Amino acid sequence: MLRRFRLEEPQSVAEVSELLGRFGESAKVYAGGTELLLAMKEGLVQYERLVNVKNVTGLNEITVTDGSVTIGALCTHHQLETSAALTEKLPALKKLEQNVANVRVRQVGTIGGNLCFAEPHADPGTLLIALGAKLITEKSSSKREIAAEDFFVDAYETALEADEVLTKIQVPVPAANGRSAYLKFGYLERPSVGVAIAFNLYGGVTGVKVAVGCAGPAPRRVAEAEALLEGKSKDEAERNLAQAGAVAGRAAQAISDLHGSQEYKEHIVGVLLKRAFQRALS
Amino acid sequence: MQFQKEVEILAPREKVWQFIWDVDRFIACVPGCKEAKTIEEGKRYSATMVEKVGPFKVEFPTTIEVLEREELTHIKAQASGADNKIGSRMKLDLDVNLREQGDKTILGFVAGVDILGKLAALGHGIIKRKADQVLDEFAQAVKTKLEGDR
Repeated sequence: MLRRFRLEEPQSVAEVSELLGRFGESAKVYAGGTELLLAMKEGLVQYERLVNVKNVTGLNEITVTDGSVTIGALCTHHQLETSAALTEKLPALKKLEQNVANVRVRQVGTIGGNLCFAEPHADPGTLLIALGAKLITEKSSSKREIAAEDFFVDAYETALEADEVLTKIQVPVPAANGRSAYLKFGYLERPSVGVAIAFNLYGGVTGVKVAVGCAGPAPRRVAEAEALLEGKSKDEAERNLAQAGAVAGRAAQAISDLHGSQEYKEHIVGVLLKRAFQRALS
Repeated sequence: MQFQKEVEILAPREKVWQFIWDVDRFIACVPGCKEAKTIEEGKRYSATMVEKVGPFKVEFPTTIEVLEREELTHIKAQASGADNKIGSRMKLDLDVNLREQGDKTILGFVAGVDILGKLAALGHGIIKRKADQVLDEFAQAVKTKLEGDR
């Protein structure tokens, strides 16, 4: 049962930040509520105040400017899966969003909420790392950019400070020959493993970024796997995929749980990396 | 969940043994453990364990019972507690072994940790990882404290 709480209705990011700073751990940002309210109903977390950010204007828009797509933190997954800008500029992200959870979650769950809750089995963080996204955060009087790969600290933990609010996600538009893909696999409600790859194909494979998620406590970029593919011809990169997959599997910090054993998840990382590379090429 | 740890301490076995029974100093090495009290010297103790995974916080008022004690060598203890706010219980079976190796003491422990109730919704993997971290930090803290005393 949901315990009583006070609902704050700030109208601006500065007000949100001020409330979070004032009430500390007894307050929490509330956006879509798809994960927070479940945890509250279960009694796993209790907050005296929820700070509803849905009245803050300008945080649910998708804009394309200067070689990047800027996504407001309050955009719902449904908005993203039906966005023309994403279809044109970031098809891999659109595809991912089409497969986030289920239709009910996608209607109300927000991309910002998904990233900030940092549930280990969430999808978007992994691809955003591979796409080199930056997360724009604001406080009452300051603003900063956090690279997606630095945002996820641990399970349910991010680099956000107590009074900091995620406002936008800035994703660079891939170059004309840029390729990317995200694949996931699981047999429960949430995925066991998620793998993302992004690269440019100019004769060879360059600018490679590989990220793994869901298997461990938080999504991670795997530079060692990238190094095995970087600067190689397409055929050579394909030959190195097995080794890169093994490296990425180990780097995933996979933990044995109901979603599969550590060994199983590490193996699936390898399988998905190979397939994601092929998907990105197709 | 079973965990097995071993830590090499550059200190004589007697000193490590004494340290284990110095409740205040020993408890200070257990991450998240506070308000330790002796109920019955050498037999029963109480403490509160506070642990956190992201926004999820548990507070287990815990009773620790010493089941077996073999001077300088072995301790078998059991701890259990419940967080009624969250509706979860914790049970810990602990076997501590000490053995000498030259001028060092090997402190080994086998811990069986069970978490029951709603907290289990966080997932076995996350809880296991957290428990593993706590035990590692504990082992390291014991080593640092004892070796720092030299």
